[in-house]
Amino acid sequence: MAGSGSAHLRPPGQAVLRAEDLVVEFPAGRGRSVRAVSGVSFDLLPGETLGIVGESGCGKSTTARALMQLPPPLSGSVRLDGVELTRLKGEALRRTRRRLQMIFQDPISSLNPRRRVRDIVAEGPRVWGVGGDRVDEILEAVGLDPDTAATRRPHEFSGGQCQRISIARALVLEPEVVICDEPVSALDVSVQAQILGLLEDLKERYRLTLVFIAHDLAVVKNVSDRILVMYLGKTCELAPGSELVERPAHPYTRALLASIPRSGLGLPPADQLISGEPPSPVTPPSGCRFRTRCPKAAPRCAQEEPEMRSLGGDRWVACHYPEVETA
Amino acid sequence: MRRRLGKGFWIASGWIGLVLAAAVLADLLPLPGYDETLVGPPQAGPSLAHPFGTDGLGRDVFSRVVYGARVSLGVGIGAVLLGLLIGAPLGLLAGYRGKATDAVIMAVNDIALAFPALVFALAVVAFAGANLRNVLIVLGVLGVPAWTRLVRGTTMAFAGREFVLAARALGVRDRRILWREIVPNVSVPAASYAFLGMAVVIVAEGSLAFLGLSVQAPTPTWGGLINEGRTIMENAPHLVLAPALVMFLTVLSFNVVGDRLRALTDVRQSGLEHVRRAAAQPLPTAPHTPGGQLLQVADLRTHFVTERGVVKAVDGVSFTLERGRTLAVVGESGSGKSMLIRSILDLLPGAGVVRGGKVYLDGDDLTGFSPKEMRQVLGTRLAAVFQDPMTALNPVRTIGTQVAEPLRVHLGLSGKRARAHAAVLLASVGIPEPERVLRRYPHQLSGGMRQRVTIAMALSCGPDVLFADEPTTALDVTVQDQVLRLIHRQRQERNMATVLVSHDLAVVAEWADEVIVMYAGKVVERGPAADLFERTRMPYTEALLQSVPRLTDPAHHRLRVITGRPPDLAALPSGCAFHPRCPYARERCVTEAPPLFQETREHLYACWYPRGTEAAVGDPVPVALGESGPADPVPVALGESGPAALGEPAAGPVPAGTDRNGSEPGGPEHNGAGSAGPDLKRPELAGPEGADNRGR
Ligand SMILES: Nc1ncnc2c1ncn2[C@@H]1O[C@H](COP(=O)(O)OP(=O)(O)O)[C@@H](O)[C@H]1O
Ligand code: SF4
Ligand code: SF4
Ligand SMILES: [Mg+2]
Repeated sequence: MAGSGSAHLRPPGQAVLRAEDLVVEFPAGRGRSVRAVSGVSFDLLPGETLGIVGESGCGKSTTARALMQLPPPLSGSVRLDGVELTRLKGEALRRTRRRLQMIFQDPISSLNPRRRVRDIVAEGPRVWGVGGDRVDEILEAVGLDPDTAATRRPHEFSGGQCQRISIARALVLEPEVVICDEPVSALDVSVQAQILGLLEDLKERYRLTLVFIAHDLAVVKNVSDRILVMYLGKTCELAPGSELVERPAHPYTRALLASIPRSGLGLPPADQLISGEPPSPVTPPSGCRFRTRCPKAAPRCAQEEPEMRSLGGDRWVACHYPEVETA
Repeated sequence: MRRRLGKGFWIASGWIGLVLAAAVLADLLPLPGYDETLVGPPQAGPSLAHPFGTDGLGRDVFSRVVYGARVSLGVGIGAVLLGLLIGAPLGLLAGYRGKATDAVIMAVNDIALAFPALVFALAVVAFAGANLRNVLIVLGVLGVPAWTRLVRGTTMAFAGREFVLAARALGVRDRRILWREIVPNVSVPAASYAFLGMAVVIVAEGSLAFLGLSVQAPTPTWGGLINEGRTIMENAPHLVLAPALVMFLTVLSFNVVGDRLRALTDVRQSGLEHVRRAAAQPLPTAPHTPGGQLLQVADLRTHFVTERGVVKAVDGVSFTLERGRTLAVVGESGSGKSMLIRSILDLLPGAGVVRGGKVYLDGDDLTGFSPKEMRQVLGTRLAAVFQDPMTALNPVRTIGTQVAEPLRVHLGLSGKRARAHAAVLLASVGIPEPERVLRRYPHQLSGGMRQRVTIAMALSCGPDVLFADEPTTALDVTVQDQVLRLIHRQRQERNMATVLVSHDLAVVAEWADEVIVMYAGKVVERGPAADLFERTRMPYTEALLQSVPRLTDPAHHRLRVITGRPPDLAALPSGCAFHPRCPYARERCVTEAPPLFQETREHLYACWYPRGTEAAVGDPVPVALGESGPADPVPVALGESGPAALGEPAAGPVPAGTDRNGSEPGGPEHNGAGSAGPDLKRPELAGPEGADNRGR
């Protein structure tokens, strides 16, 4: 299984969460299947924020859910503090849930419309029999009034407030790692700034490790220490945020940056870098999956799949002909 | 919730309650026994003593109908509960577990559904004996497959929702998830179905009774009463009519209640879908003389009359727009951006809307046009593209027929030529293999391709102004860039004007020549894009700009946070509507609404203490007098020079690139709290190559 490689993973003992060679498939009708995530690897050190960017359908949400084992990946490994989650079943898996939590994109759909807000947040403590006394504290920490929360249901709150409720629900059990799947994509810029600020505050206060998924590179860069770029179920590039933005090495990263209005990074405009739209993941291109849109594609790209390799420092790229040192 | 159920619901519930109470309390009511003969003269019509009259044996029909309700309602409620009790757990299990469990349950269910139900019922009752218990069991069991299917479908819909996923992520056990997360959500549609089901069962029981296959005499049932009365119907029609009427009203009531409950679960309208076109009622409008501009909007107001009061969605917006230029409208959601577009295009929902002000297109007053004239204008001179391309595309018609339609209707092209032209249009918006795409259906295209198709449709008749309401919000960045570039190029080639609604300030800074910032239905700042981003005056604009993350910020940079939320449009704050959220608000802001002041002839803002001016730091003095020089704020008298102020750009329609590059070196000279804007004010970021390469 030629994945995108895992050379960029750090020694297993250091990482609090380590995903290796994740593969997730969905049935695509007529007996075929689509490989939504294909050999994705990454890890997080305690207190680190990893950003994941990519266009919709590139497998970001699927990766997030594979980490949560909802559903478990087809193959690959997810280790939380050294414990292999993919091998756990039933009750044993359930016991790990407290330590790994998730925040979803759609603030409305991720809250049960028929329950009161405080009950939604208190569900975790009720199930686990711990932290019941923290419910009000966490509601206040995310900027909600506990008394209001005790009587109201989600539809009485705005999108931004609903996202705060989701955050409170995820944090009340004091998880180690929180996976945020596009937590601000559905929000106005002003509310987005509020939620991003809140996440940073809570991260400090509760010493969280975050996976932050978004399609907006500027948002991801704002909160992340390192950024992983995904395309069609594969990893393209991994680097600290500033390096990735200032010296993008993968042609796809460069195209993403060039399409951002006014990014002004001295990149050629996006349509000289890439055109068209991603191909169907049901029939991905051979070799490098980006080659059908890549301006640098060469014969080798169709035959040989590039694997993640080091560009020195903490920069990693999966491309045969990366752009090195342009800026 | 109560309000949405409507009066019919409560009347129907009242009737059901009445019949139910009568049935339950029948023994306590001062009624003659249902089988007591000769309580009155036989076959007598309705009278005070016997409101429904008497039957052939002189029994009181009212009493018989009341006791009959026991059987009808008993069977109705009992059978539905029985079906629910068996069907719901099966449906929950199938819907939540999925996979093999679902496959097995649903296979059995489908077979059961294929059974000829009524024949089965007749056979069983005839065989096992016609009594209340058997009828109830048969009708109940017959309902099980339908219950299973309904509950399974609803369960599946909710099991896929993220809150169920969140519960699983919390480690909640399946049983509790079913009980706490799913059952409450399934219960409303189930209740609705239960009422509809009771109506069906009551009719079914009535039919069985009519055939003599239900509860046996002397116990009265509604169906049995009708059957008995049938023989002497000519002499005593009330014998049939009374039970028939009661049964009819009861069945109707169950249906009404079920139906209203179902309406509760329907998705509420988002307000963004295409609305029925109706001419909005006029608000009083001051007389106005149009200038020479292509599009001129003067003091446009759109108000919704709601139960909570008047919602001023658009409140006095004025601007002008010339050919070859792009006007951007920005603001938070709910600030009235989309309503402004809809008001200009007269695409407002019909009921409860009032519109005032004027819209001129090339000097023609569009607000005076009839709906028919407006339709003609909409296809040809004004065109619109919306956020969700699916609202503009018919899912069951091919792209070809849809793109060709306006060409046939408005340009009068023949079918064949329209199709050929459609292919050319699709090619011009960058769709590869247009001939093939013409034969496709909308769902077979990607979001970006669909948006290109709607742009092609909008452009097909060569409009003068293209309105694009968040055209790329649902698209990925690389595709967004392609679509915006396309709109820009078409604007150049066709010498159109474009109105671009967006909440993305980076997009606006990149593509707009002029910008309107809206807050609570009003324009709070307006001006040439470069000017507005360079010399931001209104605190709300400033805050919006500073809350956008920039690629050039270091990691973990704290963004400016605007506290609070946008105001309730039905209960606006006094004075400046932004004052509860404004860090610079002073007393005057609470009491007096600021008018639009002039920074320059084209740059206007509504603020008493504008940023970057003396007024922002000094005492609350009347600004108009507080300062001299070019930045001297002068209130603009609306309706006169106001709308015209943007009309004649100082240097004529300057290519946008030049425009912005020219103003770049100015740099921020105000703004202590960090410079505004996402990469907007950084000269090094907007180098000439950056702008030129956009192909302007
Ligand atoms: N439940 C599902 N069934 C079938 N295909 C799916 C399902 N969920 C996601 N996919 C497919 O998997 C791919 C990745 O999707 P997703 O992880 O949601 O991407 P992203 O979050 O990056 O937008 C897409 O091609 C999508 O169509
Ligand atoms: S491997 Fe080839 S096709 Fe893929 S990104 Fe690199 S140059 Fe492009
Ligand atoms: S008028 Fe007052 S409250 Fe309104 S924006 Fe200006 S300073 Fe703020
Ligand atoms: Mg996603």
